[in-house]
Amino acid sequence: MERAAQQAVPLGQMEVFQALQRLHMTIFSQSVSPCGKFLAAGNNYGQIAIFSLSAALSSEAKEESKKPMVTFQAHDGPVYSMVSTDRHLLSAGDGEVKAWLWAEILKKGCKELWRRQPPYRTSLEVPEINALLLVPKENLLILAGGDCQLHAMDLETGTFMWALRGHTDYIHCLALRERSPEVLSGGEDGAVRLWDLRTAKEVQTIEVYKHEVRAHPTLCPPFFLPGHLRCLHLLLCSPPSQECSRPHNGRWIGCLATDSDWMVCGGGPALTLWHLRSSTPTTVFPMRAPQKHVTFYQDLILSAGQGRCVNQWQLSGELKAQVPGSSPGLLSLSLNQQPAAPECKVLTAAGNSCRVDVFTNLGYRAFSLSF
Amino acid sequence: MSSESSKKRKPKVIRSDGAPAEGKRTRSDTEQEGKYYSEEAEVDLRDPGRDYELYKYTCQELQRLMAEIQDLKSRGGKDAQAVEIEDRRIQSCVHFMTLKKLNRLAHIRLKKGRDQTHEAKQKVDAYHLQLQNLLYEVMHLQKEITKCLEFKSKHEEIDLVSLEEFYKEAPPDISKAEVTMGDPHQQTLARLDWELEQRKRLAEKYRECLSNKEKILKEIEVKKEYLSSLQPRLNSIMQASLPVQEYLFMPFDQAHKQYETARHLPPPLYVLFVQATAYGQACAHRKSSQPPRQDKMLSVAIEGSVDEAKALFKPPEDSQDDESDSDAEEEQTTKRRRPTLGVQLDDKRKEMLKRHPLSVLLDLKCKDDSVLHLTFYYLMNLNIMTVKARVTTATELITPISAGDLLSPDSVLSCLYPGDHGKKTPNPANQYQFDKVGILTLRDYVLDLGHPYLWVQKLGGLHFPKEQPQHTVITDHSLSASHMETTMKLLKTRVQSRLALHKQFASLAKLQAAVVLNPGYSSIPPIFQLCLNWKGEKTNNNDDNIRAMESEVNVCYKELCGPRPGHQLLTNQLQRLCVLLDVYLETESHDDSVEGPKEFPQEKMCLRLFRGPSRIKPFKYNHPQGFFSHR
Repeated sequence: MERAAQQAVPLGQMEVFQALQRLHMTIFSQSVSPCGKFLAAGNNYGQIAIFSLSAALSSEAKEESKKPMVTFQAHDGPVYSMVSTDRHLLSAGDGEVKAWLWAEILKKGCKELWRRQPPYRTSLEVPEINALLLVPKENLLILAGGDCQLHAMDLETGTFMWALRGHTDYIHCLALRERSPEVLSGGEDGAVRLWDLRTAKEVQTIEVYKHEVRAHPTLCPPFFLPGHLRCLHLLLCSPPSQECSRPHNGRWIGCLATDSDWMVCGGGPALTLWHLRSSTPTTVFPMRAPQKHVTFYQDLILSAGQGRCVNQWQLSGELKAQVPGSSPGLLSLSLNQQPAAPECKVLTAAGNSCRVDVFTNLGYRAFSLSF
Repeated sequence: MSSESSKKRKPKVIRSDGAPAEGKRTRSDTEQEGKYYSEEAEVDLRDPGRDYELYKYTCQELQRLMAEIQDLKSRGGKDAQAVEIEDRRIQSCVHFMTLKKLNRLAHIRLKKGRDQTHEAKQKVDAYHLQLQNLLYEVMHLQKEITKCLEFKSKHEEIDLVSLEEFYKEAPPDISKAEVTMGDPHQQTLARLDWELEQRKRLAEKYRECLSNKEKILKEIEVKKEYLSSLQPRLNSIMQASLPVQEYLFMPFDQAHKQYETARHLPPPLYVLFVQATAYGQACAHRKSSQPPRQDKMLSVAIEGSVDEAKALFKPPEDSQDDESDSDAEEEQTTKRRRPTLGVQLDDKRKEMLKRHPLSVLLDLKCKDDSVLHLTFYYLMNLNIMTVKARVTTATELITPISAGDLLSPDSVLSCLYPGDHGKKTPNPANQYQFDKVGILTLRDYVLDLGHPYLWVQKLGGLHFPKEQPQHTVITDHSLSASHMETTMKLLKTRVQSRLALHKQFASLAKLQAAVVLNPGYSSIPPIFQLCLNWKGEKTNNNDDNIRAMESEVNVCYKELCGPRPGHQLLTNQLQRLCVLLDVYLETESHDDSVEGPKEFPQEKMCLRLFRGPSRIKPFKYNHPQGFFSHR
């Protein structure tokens, strides 16, 4: 409503409505185009906006470059999750997943390529889809959300192949463990479950809120030692223990990230680093606010959640930096690591506002794109 | 090499040789253009030894010819000798030429030799350099190798179990015999795995044992205490002849000390002390069915300095000494500076409002373990008693804003009896005293000195009839006794009711809404910003659900417009907010670590409590069906 004060002409109803919408907008998901130059952001009104990163990052960038190139209504409900394949943009929100061609979107043609709905058990309320995961080797798309199941869809034929049941409450997030290959899913019931993709069965369940960390976080051994030796090393040091669970926040797992040997998860319980083979937590990161998105980057862990800042952690549990953004809470982080566009290598963060913060250097926020 | 470079090099060679060059230069040029003559190639073909012999022979010939010419010239005779001289001259010229050639050849040979040496030397140098480089590398690699070989990984410091034991004991999924038998690296890894497993198990065992040990230690402690407490009981049983006297001895000891101190109390405080102790003992006896070690509901203590109290009653000799000392001091001070009138007045006031150094402390315990601490003071010159109050609770109270004053020491005891505010002095005689020193009312000093409630005076046995001022004050035990019980009961109820009110204020959930109304209401909707005070302060900055509630009334206002022309928007929005607050409080997830029932039982029908990454509650109302769902 700042615009109302600046303009002398009274606003019409439409502008008021749009301004109110922008005030209460939440951006849930982001995805980078395969060429690396464009960023798609999905919000709670079901709109997807495409921003041109190369234009916003160039030296002649003006205010208009920070506005979307094109905005279209993608879904009826919020767009909770988006991924990009090498030609398509897949978006999911209220119960169905839709595909769009990147080439057409960039030409401002906003017609969906196809839409699919996984087979749900109940028809009373359409469950939302909170997370999408691409498994490139098997050309699979895995969806998970409100109906507590993981559905796998073959991208060639569009058929739903199997559904994995095990969670007792809805699923928040997914992560892919490439080596095995296994899928990790974290849900509202407080458990992280590992599923083997080939046998389509549950391999392991970790109930995060029941664990505590034994080892002292600052005596972390160097990362190049194989996992077994690290555990031994940690056990050789004397341990005070830290609890993972925080009952006043709840037990839900809001975010997951893995790099095959290690997993970091957070949400209601504290943000913890786990060694997957021995299923023990090794480090608790001292962050009070629940975290909603976490990812590995080089030798750091980046996390964001309630609170303005993007947090950068060393693997030993020390906070390396906290960089404030412009939204009061963050829900999604995206690292543009597409090899085709190295000049657009940025970190973008979005959450409880209509703005996407762009970090060209992890130390400070360069500027914000806005819906 | 020499053949191709000689074409260029020949002039150079001759030039660098220097002296015998000039005469031959033109000749060699023509020679060069005509046929291909290479002197350097000739050098290779000729034998240096023979050249040396030729040189010697030529020198000899030259000498001979010179000698012959000399002879011929000395003999005289012109013609035939001239021919022979000429002949010999020509021969010697030829010999000279030979010499020159030989000289050239020698120079060429020398140069060749030097060049070859130089080349060889360079080659040798290059090889030498290579050799040194390689040697250096070798040394470096050797150092690296020794470093690597010396590397002691931490895992070697651990004593692992022997191989046979390992294969015997380790479960097959760790020992993996097929893989590890052949590969020592895998074997070591597997052994370390097993080591880790064993250590974990042992650590578990260790912890269990520790906790067991703790338990046992505690049990030992308890038993020890029991044993040590048995001793005096055994003593008392043994002295069966004087059981009643033994029993009387114990409380008498403590009380004895108190009575000693109490002798120095001013009369009103003494009365209070005696009556309060008596009442306290009476209360304890009333509950005689319980074991005698129960904590007393009312405990009395005396605080303050007994020495100062004793000093108030100085014997006369001391005061005379003091007076003389003070006279001397005063003379000195008058020489320096007279204290101003204001300071003098202040001092007088302080003197008037002086408290007795001893005070009586009463602790009143209520059923929920909260304690009311009352400290009673006596103002000597005004002859009144004042009280200061403080409440301590068993658990710490989180003070909500509106309940801040409930337990403040200033107001917690106000109006215990109707009309008794405790701000005015109950002794009418004080008014005249105040006039002398310019005190208007005691109200200004009440925070410091305590409140002079009427019931406090009655507890101290001080009776002030309202009609006339009295000079003498009678302290009356019967007055105190009659008021003691009622006052104690009133105090207890007062504390408990205040605490209960405090708790109720704390548990109320309050939603504050700030509204901005645009002059263009109702086409431009009012905008709400919410702040919820319940278990902490929640706004749209730290709680996604508050943000969703704001969005429900701000963004979805079109549903709330009501019948045209939509003037009911604001009321509908407020009503929607009330419903949303209900939904919020009822769907709040129950914290498992805290005992007790849910504060707001769920009465509304909701399909799902949380949805989406932000875990929003169901705020959307579905009209005819009457249940709540998500947008």
